[in-house]
Amino acid sequence: MSWQRLITLIRREMRATLRDPFTIISLVAVPLAALLIFGFTISTEVQRLHLGVRDECQTAASRRLLADLRADGSFRLQPMASRAAVERALVTGAISAALIIPPTFDRALREGSAGAAAAQVQILYDGAETVVAGNAEGSLRGLISASVAGLRAAAPRPPGADAAAPAGVEVVARVLFNPTLDGVPYMVAGTFGFVLTFLTTLITAVSIVNERLQGTFEQLQVTPATALEIFLGKVLPLGGVFAIDVVLMVLVAGLVMQVWPNGSALFFIVVSSFYVLTSLAMGLIISATSGTAAEAVQKTVLTSIPLVQLSGFAFPLRNMPVPVQWLAELFPATHYIRVSRAVYLRGAGPLDLLPELALLAFFGALLVAGALRTMGSRA
Amino acid sequence: MSDTTSRSARFFSNVLAVAYKEATELRHDQAFLGVVLVQPIVMLFLFGWALSNEPANVPWALLDQSRTPASRRFVEAVQSTGYFLPPTPVASSAAGRALLKRGQAVAFLTIPPEFRRAIERGGPRVQVQLDGTDPISAARIGGYFSQIGAAFDTGRLAADAPPLDLRQRFLFNPTLRDRDFFLAALAGMLLTNLCLSATSLSIVGERENGTYEHMLASPTTAIEIVLGKLAPHVVVSYAVLFLAILGTGLVFGIWPRGSLLALCVVTLPFVLASLSVGVFVSTLASTSAQAVFVSVFFILPSFVLSGAMISYQLMPPGVREIGALVPLRWYQLAQRRIIERGADLGEIMVPLLVLCAMFGAMMLLIRWRMKPRLG
Repeated sequence: MSWQRLITLIRREMRATLRDPFTIISLVAVPLAALLIFGFTISTEVQRLHLGVRDECQTAASRRLLADLRADGSFRLQPMASRAAVERALVTGAISAALIIPPTFDRALREGSAGAAAAQVQILYDGAETVVAGNAEGSLRGLISASVAGLRAAAPRPPGADAAAPAGVEVVARVLFNPTLDGVPYMVAGTFGFVLTFLTTLITAVSIVNERLQGTFEQLQVTPATALEIFLGKVLPLGGVFAIDVVLMVLVAGLVMQVWPNGSALFFIVVSSFYVLTSLAMGLIISATSGTAAEAVQKTVLTSIPLVQLSGFAFPLRNMPVPVQWLAELFPATHYIRVSRAVYLRGAGPLDLLPELALLAFFGALLVAGALRTMGSRA
Repeated sequence: MSDTTSRSARFFSNVLAVAYKEATELRHDQAFLGVVLVQPIVMLFLFGWALSNEPANVPWALLDQSRTPASRRFVEAVQSTGYFLPPTPVASSAAGRALLKRGQAVAFLTIPPEFRRAIERGGPRVQVQLDGTDPISAARIGGYFSQIGAAFDTGRLAADAPPLDLRQRFLFNPTLRDRDFFLAALAGMLLTNLCLSATSLSIVGERENGTYEHMLASPTTAIEIVLGKLAPHVVVSYAVLFLAILGTGLVFGIWPRGSLLALCVVTLPFVLASLSVGVFVSTLASTSAQAVFVSVFFILPSFVLSGAMISYQLMPPGVREIGALVPLRWYQLAQRRIIERGADLGEIMVPLLVLCAMFGAMMLLIRWRMKPRLG
């Protein structure tokens, strides 16, 4: 291997990459847009959700309940004229849930004592939006129970009805690593996996197919440069550019979205830069099997569907059927996203992640070997 | 009068001529036909079978300091929910925390030594520590533990009257199955993919092959060329729509509850709008690789921000509005209304009109982009 030849190749590649404004824009804009867009897509919080309310009771107690709900701010209350209007609004999705307070609510609350009927309210959820309904259920149940408990405490109690300890076992829950259950860090850490797999593969594949089409790749192959030198000449400059991308993303996530890694940022950047090599090798292999640049992009997109859906980026792996989980373990992206989340959220270090790192290294070596073979073959 | 009829007749015959040429090319595009047939099957299984937000196979750690029949009964209650794997017993709090940190447990339950005595005296409590990394899973798993605790029979009756009788009902999807949510929007996702990849190469491809100039030299206008290019894809799109409806119905037993007619009506402006986004991308791009690249980065955010895969209601205000700019947002709104909630044509008017407006706006943009190059 000749250093001089390698340096010439690297210089050539840098110039070719940086000449095309489209490539430069995608290198900067895509990662940042992905961070900002994906970062805010999941949430356990309910914010200003439209809640239809039908107050058939119209007393101080029912108005107090509605005022409590309004004051909380999670829901935007919309009075409904009739039960038919409630149903219609649910069908069109104008409201995500509806609260109906029956005329007996007030009386039951005042007379509430052992053996008497409890105060009743009805809630209808739009089950069509499963996650919204689940989140709304948790938050509404808590709000209404608290408000009604307050109302009952204010109401005069019949003698003998003391407050007693509730039945059942009290579960004291504590959330570690992300106490507010904020969705942003989870998605930010996953977005690294998305960008470093998808964008890197895409740009590499396109750049090499274009060279093949222009015939410059064949020219490289007939020079005295070896397959390894051509490979390194391609991979090192692109890898360097993507390593800069990683740093840029860490900074934007930290400064704009207030998400910094809990673990070592240096460790994260090093692992990510090595992972970029895996994606670059993947891009080389795809380019070797594609006739046109458009075909290379389409192939990358087809491989990216399982990446987004099955790597755990958007949906937790363990919720999937077992055979699908095995399949997902075969994607390097799955392991990288796991590492990224562990470092970002749980503050894990190299020792906590040994098996995952070993697997990543194994996949990387496998793909680099495959890419080297395609480099050497002369079309 | 006769002048206008002959002009409109020429318009239609020109559009048809381009459509015929386009359809002939399409019929010979093996890769395209492969994508059209394979993609619906892959997506049907992904969304119907593989993906879910509902916790399953949850690994958890257990520190049972009580070691009594009561504590074992509590563990059994957790197991019987079906969401959890068998627990990993740990000897100390630190060991449990270590499992959480390595991601080998998502929940860590500690049952204190005085658990059994507390049950007799009142006020028993257990502690659950959750890995908040994945907030949606953590919130749901925390909810399961609270429910298990509340339902646990301690042999004591509450002295007070039940404070509140909360009658809850989940309409349209009583068990909140994610499958119904995903599959309702399946056709929308498939068609977004199909329409954009079909037309994003249309203009730039002709330009690269040099056939674009041939078409301009013929007596067809830019709009006639574009409409002719869209027409065959509309037919393919309806075939994909029916494939998606049939597949969802036959494999998973989920059939549209509302009006099929309404579904077919709203599909037309959506398909036209998506196709014209592809054509617009094609007029912007200078190479076909760029065109595919840009359309990919339109498709992915469409899936995520439209609400087809993830509910847009949970996104913060600014992000919500960005999602309203993609046709898929309005189509998935209409799909959910029709397929899940049984709506008819009258209840999808707003999405229908917005989609028509989007198609109109895209056609104006395309005309504007193609004009200067005609001169």
